[in-house]
Amino acid sequence: MSKKYKLKRLLVRRYQILAAILFILAAGLVLLPKYKKNEGIAPDLFVKNIISSERYISTDLLADRLVNQDPTVLLIDTRSEKEFNDYALPNAVNIPLKDLLNENFDGYINQDVYDVILYSNENFYADQAWIISNRLGYQNLYVLKGGLNEWFNTIINPKMPEETEPKEAFDLYSFRKAAGMYFGVGIVKSEVKKEIKKKKPTRKVITVKKKKKRVPEGGC
Amino acid sequence: MGPLIPNGIIPEDWNYIIAILIGFAFGYILEASGFSSSRKLAGQFYGYDFAVLKVFFTSAVVAVIGLYYMDYLNFLDISMLFVQPTYLWAAIIGGMIMGVGFLAGGFCPGTSLCAVAIGKIDGIVFTIGLVIGIFIFSESFSALEPLFESSNLGNITLVDTLGVSPYWIIFIFTIIALIAFVFSDWVRSKVKKVFY
Amino acid sequence: MVKKKQQNRHVYWNPYFGGFLLGLLIILTFYLTGRGLGASGALKSGVVTVVHTIAPTHAENNVYYSKFIKEGESPMNNWLVFEAIGVLLGAFLSGAFTGRLKLKVQHSPKITSRRRLVFALIGGILFGLGAQIARGCTSGAALSGMAVLSTGGFITMLAIFGTGYAVAYFFRKNWI
Repeated sequence: MSKKYKLKRLLVRRYQILAAILFILAAGLVLLPKYKKNEGIAPDLFVKNIISSERYISTDLLADRLVNQDPTVLLIDTRSEKEFNDYALPNAVNIPLKDLLNENFDGYINQDVYDVILYSNENFYADQAWIISNRLGYQNLYVLKGGLNEWFNTIINPKMPEETEPKEAFDLYSFRKAAGMYFGVGIVKSEVKKEIKKKKPTRKVITVKKKKKRVPEGGC
Repeated sequence: MGPLIPNGIIPEDWNYIIAILIGFAFGYILEASGFSSSRKLAGQFYGYDFAVLKVFFTSAVVAVIGLYYMDYLNFLDISMLFVQPTYLWAAIIGGMIMGVGFLAGGFCPGTSLCAVAIGKIDGIVFTIGLVIGIFIFSESFSALEPLFESSNLGNITLVDTLGVSPYWIIFIFTIIALIAFVFSDWVRSKVKKVFY
Repeated sequence: MVKKKQQNRHVYWNPYFGGFLLGLLIILTFYLTGRGLGASGALKSGVVTVVHTIAPTHAENNVYYSKFIKEGESPMNNWLVFEAIGVLLGAFLSGAFTGRLKLKVQHSPKITSRRRLVFALIGGILFGLGAQIARGCTSGAALSGMAVLSTGGFITMLAIFGTGYAVAYFFRKNWI
């Protein structure tokens, strides 16, 4: 009988132990220090990214990719709509800086299929857009170094190199000239306008698959 | 990190396979705990068998503590979990009707599926009744619609309603559960034993 | 041999153990899919499918059915239906392992089995009605709702069990 009694005591003790464990776990949840969770990348990584100049892509490289019709390039214009309608790089998507975090545009910047290249008149808006997106942890983002102004200075209107400069400079110049012709430079001005206007309807519609976070469904 | 399928870590197509596996475990646990027996389920209202209360409270406490610990350790994102919408009067009146149904039939839909699987005829009849009930509801939906759609308070949790930190709610919930366990054992020892 | 069968008849798992496993299962479900369990939704999908097959126009005209009928996709293509299939399989297996598979009507010895079946039918009808109004049953709303501290889950749970205790007196002849 005593063995059974001891067993019974152990049994009761077992439940008490389990109850105590549960209690301690619940109490732990209350007492543990709560820290704020960051959304996005860690601050030191962020600063490192800002300082490095890896994100810049030169206008020559961009021109090269566009001429070769690299399909992984996605140009995003961060200026206002009016400036976008005045002139924009071919096949660019307009996301004004203030609308950057708009959900509709999330599919363009938050994905890992295309290389997103942000540009604006100078570096300013594009850099800001890049900083915001990088903070949120998006990848494959680049900034066009010098923006459209640099683009004009190099591709549309390249500087003729001096006589004393090495051969590479001349190669670069002829490359820029050829790229410029691809983009519609060198044709008579009235035709230039028509050229650009004709390009508009054939603007490529990029169906970007959103890396969306599915809201979980539920039910009874 | 977080619920895996909504975050895309596991492809969407696995959803149904996971559903079957989870249902499998669910059915196994329910049946092995004896919930396919209607007398065991009804026993909790008469004091001779508190298995329902024990299983319910234990699973709720374990689940809520586990989920919040996982959220604390950044394995899970609680805000992405499905919280059902609260329709105040619909929940209360529907719950009352369900309570009566529970006592009359002795099953609930999940356990009635278990009973069907092991061949209890009253389980099969209960399931047929469920189907008829759903059918009746759908046919008379136009009459019941105002009740159904009324007072939608949205997908709120207790945190929003009571305004207290969730950890305190969990703590108090645990204490209530532990007290309920002790109480149920005490009641059981006082009630006449029923063999079923 | 008979004695062993007698002993095995009501050997269920310890309810705390079952509850613990169920809690772990709910955590796993939420972690994998972000949603909780459910049971009555599967039956609702079944009803919608049957009605849609038999009388498509009536189903589309009815406000409630049309919510669940999408073009080209059967309403059975629902997470809960697959879960219900799993529940049936799991319970069958558990019953098979412990020798509880038997076609019978379980009722208190004080009433006839016919009365039990009648009450089961009535209970089912009421429960089906209530589950649709409250958008959830005990497993879906109460269990999974409590796991995320949802207000609706708690309200439904309290309503079900509160009413259960209130009317238990009237049904006592059936059970005790």
